[in-house]
Amino acid sequence: MALPLSYHWRNLFVRKNTTILTVLVIAAVVGVFTWMIGFRGAVNQSLSVAGEERKIIVLKKGATAESNSAIPIDEYNKLGQLNSVEKNPATGQPRFSPEMIIQVSLPRLADGGMTFANVAVRGVTDDAFVVHSNVKELGTRFSVAEREVIVGVAASKQFGGLNIGDIVNIGFGGDRGYKVVGYFSADGGPMESEIWGYLPSLMNAYNRTMYSSVSLRLTPDADPKEVIAQIEGPAIQLTGKTEKDYWKEQTKLTQIYLFVTGALVAVMSIAAVFAIANTMYAVVAGRTREIAMLRTIGFDGYTILRGLILESVMVSLMGGIIGCLGCAAWLEIAGNTKDMFGATTFTTMAFEIHLTPVIVVAAMIMVTLLGVVGALMPGLRAARLEVLTALREA
Amino acid sequence: MTLTLVMLKNFRRNPLRVALTAVAFALPMAIFVAAISMVVALNEASANTEKELRIGVHHKTSLVNPLPEGMRRKIEGLDPDRTRLTGVCGMRWFGGRVPNTQNTLTSLAADADTFPTVYSDTYMQPAEIAAWNKDRQACVVGMNPAEEYGWKTGDRVTLESTVPPYLQLEFHIVKVLDNPERANFFWFRRDYLVESLKEKGEDDPRCNIFWVKCNSAQSLRSLQKDIDALFANTPDETKSEDENTFGANFIQMAGNIPGLMQAMSVVVVVIVAMVAGNTMMMSFRERTRELAVFKAIGFQSRKVFQLVVGESLLLALGGSLLGIVPISLVLWLHPIPMRQMGPVGSLEISWMAAGISLVIALVVGLAAGFGRPTKPCVYEQQMRCGALSKD
Repeated sequence: MALPLSYHWRNLFVRKNTTILTVLVIAAVVGVFTWMIGFRGAVNQSLSVAGEERKIIVLKKGATAESNSAIPIDEYNKLGQLNSVEKNPATGQPRFSPEMIIQVSLPRLADGGMTFANVAVRGVTDDAFVVHSNVKELGTRFSVAEREVIVGVAASKQFGGLNIGDIVNIGFGGDRGYKVVGYFSADGGPMESEIWGYLPSLMNAYNRTMYSSVSLRLTPDADPKEVIAQIEGPAIQLTGKTEKDYWKEQTKLTQIYLFVTGALVAVMSIAAVFAIANTMYAVVAGRTREIAMLRTIGFDGYTILRGLILESVMVSLMGGIIGCLGCAAWLEIAGNTKDMFGATTFTTMAFEIHLTPVIVVAAMIMVTLLGVVGALMPGLRAARLEVLTALREA
Repeated sequence: MTLTLVMLKNFRRNPLRVALTAVAFALPMAIFVAAISMVVALNEASANTEKELRIGVHHKTSLVNPLPEGMRRKIEGLDPDRTRLTGVCGMRWFGGRVPNTQNTLTSLAADADTFPTVYSDTYMQPAEIAAWNKDRQACVVGMNPAEEYGWKTGDRVTLESTVPPYLQLEFHIVKVLDNPERANFFWFRRDYLVESLKEKGEDDPRCNIFWVKCNSAQSLRSLQKDIDALFANTPDETKSEDENTFGANFIQMAGNIPGLMQAMSVVVVVIVAMVAGNTMMMSFRERTRELAVFKAIGFQSRKVFQLVVGESLLLALGGSLLGIVPISLVLWLHPIPMRQMGPVGSLEISWMAAGISLVIALVVGLAAGFGRPTKPCVYEQQMRCGALSKD
């Protein structure tokens, strides 16, 4: 027979201070944990969106990113000899998306424009919207005859001056105003942090005659390795990377960031287990007599152990709920967007951190585990209590 | 039996708990020392750069847009008598890496004539300046790349650029810098870059940034305004920032890892101090009877109190030292090089950080010892009427 829940619940309030302290510790751990998982989730989602194996990004040899790559038109034309590139059904020709990347310095909204970030501006043609199939236009596309751009939804939330109707000053001298006419999404991928405009117009604005990169899509039966070998071979002499590999290289800083946060959460989790164990030891020590009494009237050691674990899980869950609420409040107050510098792109990627139900469930599972682990040792001690000695001594 | 011996014996009573408490102090203290060392180093670096009184002038739209090299003369023209500025040094990003490696070095081509003046914190000696002036391929490198690739003064090294047209250039090291704020830099002469670009068919003598060395903080502020005003409404509008603001933007862009470390380490220390303090308090609460026995056999309140506080302090300090000493030794004997963009060359031990963490341990230890169950008055009442008469 189990002990009634209310017995355990009320017991928690006998040692109010210890319980509150433990709840706070767990809340802090859970708060940081949920934020970190949210951030990691945002990064991973971005990267998994940008993780297509069948999409190849072509760069100039020696370049490390699109932003420091320059492909002259004649070298771009050499790509025409590639086989197994997806064709444009209208023309029957292989479809390439030549692109140019430049940067514009825009204020961050999160700190009221105190700091600036380098936001990528990508010059594209109609083919880009087919090759980058996850890009969805929300509203109109930029016109090829006007100075117009469209803005990724993540960029519009993280950086200032990117609302529809706003003028963004780009161009080599920063003196050409491009009007924001629409937004686009990219399934949460890194392109959502970019501004897109018409390639020839932007090349002109920057006095450029070269593309930065070329994106292409492979036919279903093609082997990416073979195509990359062909791109790097003597006939073309450019560099090719699958989209997945390319973005993995660009997020090294993010990986460091996640590592630091992860290490701290690990230390804090140890502290949390310790706090719970502590509370439960105090519970056992303070209730030795009571527990012995329960044993005398017929509750066995297993029931006592289970009861103590239950108590500790209740404390943990309270902490977990407070922690999740705290994290949600923090995201509300401090803003849920964060941007990180690509390792070599010289542009930033904006992420949006969401406290999803999955994260909340994961946090609850974690605190439950912490609660069980923390209660195990003190619980076993209580279960193995020598009834007679305990009754006499305590 | 002395009190100290009693304290030590007490630790053997519940070795698991003592060990856990000690670890609970050691781990966060180690992290705390490392994080605060980092913050101290950052502050020192920014104080040092502030002393250098340099303004970075770059394109308003983006640092990536190059500016015409003639702007240097225009900036110098703002102050022909040199009452406010001492020199202007134009720089062009080279982004070189050692062939067949992945790490891009912070490598920049600098105006040869003004570089030693504007970057006086490279402490170039007259002989080194002479070598820099004489040798077109001269370069000055920070200690991190020098250590990583085993370079020393007099070596010939090759870098390949990661920006178009991806030049591969050979350099001649005239100085390896030993100051930590400049640990990640690689500077060479801009005339060499310009000529090499010409050979490739690109006549492009432009600069990404002009560093203006000022005489005083006042002239820095006034020049900052004057320079931006000078180029306002021209094809190349500028943004002038002092060196610290310029650097802060980079740290911000890299996700503000130092800020994160600082905030999180404080949270960790607070939490763990609460946990560890609570544990110690509890171990005394459990021993109320025993302390009462001490009193019963004639120990004065003061002695018992000393025993309790002493034990608590010993555990807090001991545990913390377990964390502080190893991390301090590691950071002291072998500072961890930091190769990201930023003014801190390596993570070295800051003795102040070690000191702060010891003080924290001391406070937690005292607080736990003074905590409720041992508060003299409450405790004596417990002793007299409660503890012994139980059972």
